[in-house]
Amino acid sequence: MIAVQARTDRVAASPLGRASPLATLAVAVAWLVALATTTDPRPPVLVAVVAILAALGPGRVAPRDLARGLAPLWLAALTVGAFNALLSPANADPSAAVVVVFGPVRLTTPAIEAGVALALRVVAIVAVGVAWARVTDATHLADALVQQARLPERFAYGALAALQAIPWLAEDLVALREARRMRGLRATWHPRILVGLLVLAIRRGDRLAVAMDARGFSTAGRTRYRIVRWSALDGAVVVGGLAVLAAIVALR
Amino acid sequence: MPWSVPGRMAGELTVDGLVVDTGTAPAVIERVGVVFQDPSSQLVMERAEDDVAFGLEGRGWSRERMRARVPDALAEAGLAGFERRRTARLSGGEQQRLALAGAFAPRPGLLVLDEPTANLDPPGASAFAARLAAVRSARAATVVLVEHRAELAWPLADLVLALGADGAPLGFGPPGEILARSRDVLAEAGIWLPDEPLPPLPLRSSGGAGTGEPVVEAHDVAFAFERGVAVLRGVDLAVGPGERVALLGPNGSGKSTLGRLLVGLLRPAAGRVRLAGADPSRLAPHDLARRAGYVMQDPERGFLGATVEADLLLGLATGERQRAGDVADALGLPMAAFGRRNPFTLSGGEQRRLSLASQLVRRPSLLVLDEPTFGQDRRGYGALLGLLRAGVDEGTAIVAATHDLRFAGDVAERVVHLVDGRIAGPGATIPPQDAA
Repeated sequence: MIAVQARTDRVAASPLGRASPLATLAVAVAWLVALATTTDPRPPVLVAVVAILAALGPGRVAPRDLARGLAPLWLAALTVGAFNALLSPANADPSAAVVVVFGPVRLTTPAIEAGVALALRVVAIVAVGVAWARVTDATHLADALVQQARLPERFAYGALAALQAIPWLAEDLVALREARRMRGLRATWHPRILVGLLVLAIRRGDRLAVAMDARGFSTAGRTRYRIVRWSALDGAVVVGGLAVLAAIVALR
Repeated sequence: MPWSVPGRMAGELTVDGLVVDTGTAPAVIERVGVVFQDPSSQLVMERAEDDVAFGLEGRGWSRERMRARVPDALAEAGLAGFERRRTARLSGGEQQRLALAGAFAPRPGLLVLDEPTANLDPPGASAFAARLAAVRSARAATVVLVEHRAELAWPLADLVLALGADGAPLGFGPPGEILARSRDVLAEAGIWLPDEPLPPLPLRSSGGAGTGEPVVEAHDVAFAFERGVAVLRGVDLAVGPGERVALLGPNGSGKSTLGRLLVGLLRPAAGRVRLAGADPSRLAPHDLARRAGYVMQDPERGFLGATVEADLLLGLATGERQRAGDVADALGLPMAAFGRRNPFTLSGGEQRRLSLASQLVRRPSLLVLDEPTFGQDRRGYGALLGLLRAGVDEGTAIVAATHDLRFAGDVAERVVHLVDGRIAGPGATIPPQDAA
């Protein structure tokens, strides 16, 4: 799904992979903001297609990886579209053209149009998010946040370290549910499981913080092993991304 | 870093002539490298080289020096060529050596290691010890190693400091001298000694049926995690009532997986498991809990009560409560002193004993243990052993997945060797780390 994770070296060496994550993020945000201003069904479709092509082309993301990231997209779009069509107030409008009547349910043309428009919006948002996440490396993003966006190191690298701990959280969850089952308690969701997860996460966080400080994390005068600088590539990414957006909007 | 631990410190601590307090913290940190027990909570970065560089960045090294030093530091830890490897995908032993590389990269004058091998299997621990021996022979840094494993720590040491249960020193000096002078004091205080002979392993070594109607049986069991390679293949195992079985085998051989299959926490991909005639993975939790117990590797993940007492009493009928007190006493966790404590505030050894107590108190007919002896001093080990034997006297069968040959020899009447997901028959070659 939309999670920043380790990318392959192939992606890291690609034009979008080498560009600053902040440049690609700026383009992604611009696209999504533009989408919010239109109800026309075409721009979302085009944005989604362009995002996927960008990830596959200049991002060199393996089609299989991208497909896996996009897998939940179709279900989400379908659900959002269907619910909005069914629950649309347009269904109650007596003057609207009726498509289907099924018992008490009356489905009208404007309601279906509204549902489709929303579903396409979901498709576009998820596609842009997944494409960005697939070309972005967590370490690269943290470096860019510190060196280019001037965010505090404590925040950026702290978040990065927390990200590394997510797989451990999944293991904690399995273990906590097993522990409950072995004590004769139902292993399904229970507030105590959340409490247990929180306790384990906080303890791990404490230990991690001590380990980071023991390695000089909070001392002043920190130097950098990896350098992120603005480059012509970043300019090209931003200009190209905005040009594509302008073209899509102009097509209307 | 006394300021990062809640508590009060008396006396004076100096590192390299510097009195340690918050004011001198940056200077002290610069002189000290630390490796902690748990690899999961000390690796910060996604890739090995970035993690080694993390401590150098904090010490203000120039980029050129870092680029030169990182590959060397990895090589010194036996991780040459690991630069771009993902830290999360390394084995536990590799992760600990990476932590050592990160701590040692800035060439600190003092290296402090807090039970760095507690979570490692024997090959991982001996690879780590080999790296430490290299640091020692190069006289590259002063090393302070906090360790229970005497056979690992004593041969590396120039000086040994033995601490009693109250934190007071019991002896300090060269290992040979301490052993000659204070052997009995140390043994009395529950400290492992380096030259204790291992008990002999039981001779019977097979997966075949034990005596009587088996408590648990596995027939031709196979298991694979999602999209993964098979962890277990064609495993046949039967354990009789009150029988004590040790599962031995290197990391990744499927010991823990087999243990979890036997108590129904996992469902086999092929074959079947029967616990007292029923499929344990389909039993209602209440029925399962009366038949089987499971002591997991990390005790903290098994605590369900806010206090030691609540954790022990969980799910017990009122008539059985007295038993909880007896079990706690036997394990050296008397209710009067420990009942109101939060399980998370216990020491590692106490936590492990509590996790055992809260399973045994239900008197299950089968108890599966996953690496039960990590981090136990001799006294804790003795308490654990005594309780397990008492459990056996009451008819509980024991299956323990373990690397600890002392424990296997002390507890088991039968050993089962797992190699690559199969039970090695009698006469099969046993991997060297188990034969050692």
